[in-house]
Amino acid sequence: MKNQTVRMISLNGIIAALYLALTIVVAPFSSGAIQFRISESLNHLIIFDKRLKWGITAGVILYNLLYSNILDVLFGGLQTFIALSLTAYFGKYFPKIWQKMVLNIVFFSVSMCLIAWMLFITLKLPFWGTYFTTALSEAIIMTLSAPVMYYIGNIVKMKLN
Amino acid sequence: MNKLILGRYIPGNSIIHHMDPRAKLISSFYFIGIIFLCNNWQSYLGMFLFTMLVIFLSKVKVGFFIKGVRPLIWLILFTVTLQILFTSGGTVYFHWGIISITEFGLTNGIFIFCRFVLIIFMSTLLTLTTPPLALSDAIESILRPLAVIHFPAHEVSLMLSIALRFVPTLMDETEKIMNAQRARGVDFSEGSLIQKMKAVIPLLIPLFVSSFNRAEELATAMEARGYQGGVGRTKYRVLSWQFTDTLALVCMGVLTLILVYLRA
Repeated sequence: MKNQTVRMISLNGIIAALYLALTIVVAPFSSGAIQFRISESLNHLIIFDKRLKWGITAGVILYNLLYSNILDVLFGGLQTFIALSLTAYFGKYFPKIWQKMVLNIVFFSVSMCLIAWMLFITLKLPFWGTYFTTALSEAIIMTLSAPVMYYIGNIVKMKLN
Repeated sequence: MNKLILGRYIPGNSIIHHMDPRAKLISSFYFIGIIFLCNNWQSYLGMFLFTMLVIFLSKVKVGFFIKGVRPLIWLILFTVTLQILFTSGGTVYFHWGIISITEFGLTNGIFIFCRFVLIIFMSTLLTLTTPPLALSDAIESILRPLAVIHFPAHEVSLMLSIALRFVPTLMDETEKIMNAQRARGVDFSEGSLIQKMKAVIPLLIPLFVSSFNRAEELATAMEARGYQGGVGRTKYRVLSWQFTDTLALVCMGVLTLILVYLRA
């Protein structure tokens, strides 16, 4: 029987590395003024095991620490962690995978208010306009990536069991 | 292959390079906090001079810092333009329909530009002068007191170290899979959003399978070497707090007092 703690540390570490690798190597998709990072699809991993929230959050924090700025480390990390924790907590009330995915998309889109607030206090960008565009872009990329992650989920579940 | 170098660290021999990563991390976060105290040109000038002094001490070329601003330049310019054109108050210099260039608009625009550029400069300084692994060690050390509320500080730090170790490997693997799929005719850059999403399926599936296998192998290797958690473990890289680190924090305190004095 493998030690679950060791297994989870290594898996979370690799997921954080995967987040960085995908963000750095795969060019963001762009549609009009909005850009989508493919690594955002990793947010759906929380559905298959709530302990993976550490790896996903670490990926966001490390990327922002190494390639972006400190405000993004704070607000981006916090937004991801809050959304993942909410999905992990409320996900148990929704038995089906697709329901959990919808819940995750809603939490990630709603929690973009933190990013909008960050842009409001630093750049004085209009809060509601920024909130709408950032939440919309998050909802679009997470909705588009949901079917892909639903499929990948079978691999994840197989490896985690 | 240049992209495979992780982070933006530039090795050097300056006082900033030799500082403890914990002091650099705390000072950087603190700097971002106190920049919001600035509300007039004197206080922004004070912060600008302080930033320039630190950049000078780091002996890193200013060009690297300007490179750090470049990815965000359109967002900054967009915001500044919005501020300049739509903020009212003070002397009106130009007016046409709903657009007006006013004294307050210009001042606000310039202040926002300065604030954001200074935040980026300070963040860039941290990553240019600190190796990624030292940053991960610093995070562990700073989070360690949280162990009293059962926060898994050691586990989080180990996870960050594993992540940093495997980023170049996974980047290499991502590139290889992308090239292999390109050779089979997959186009990652063309088409609608849905087509692009479909194109990443042949990338994500092999990448996930190999990453999970890698995590499994790593866990087995850690167990085989007797990894038992953080208690009683010694470290290969030991952080040492020097006089210059304390001095740096004192300087941040003095800077705060100066800002409080300078602000309107």
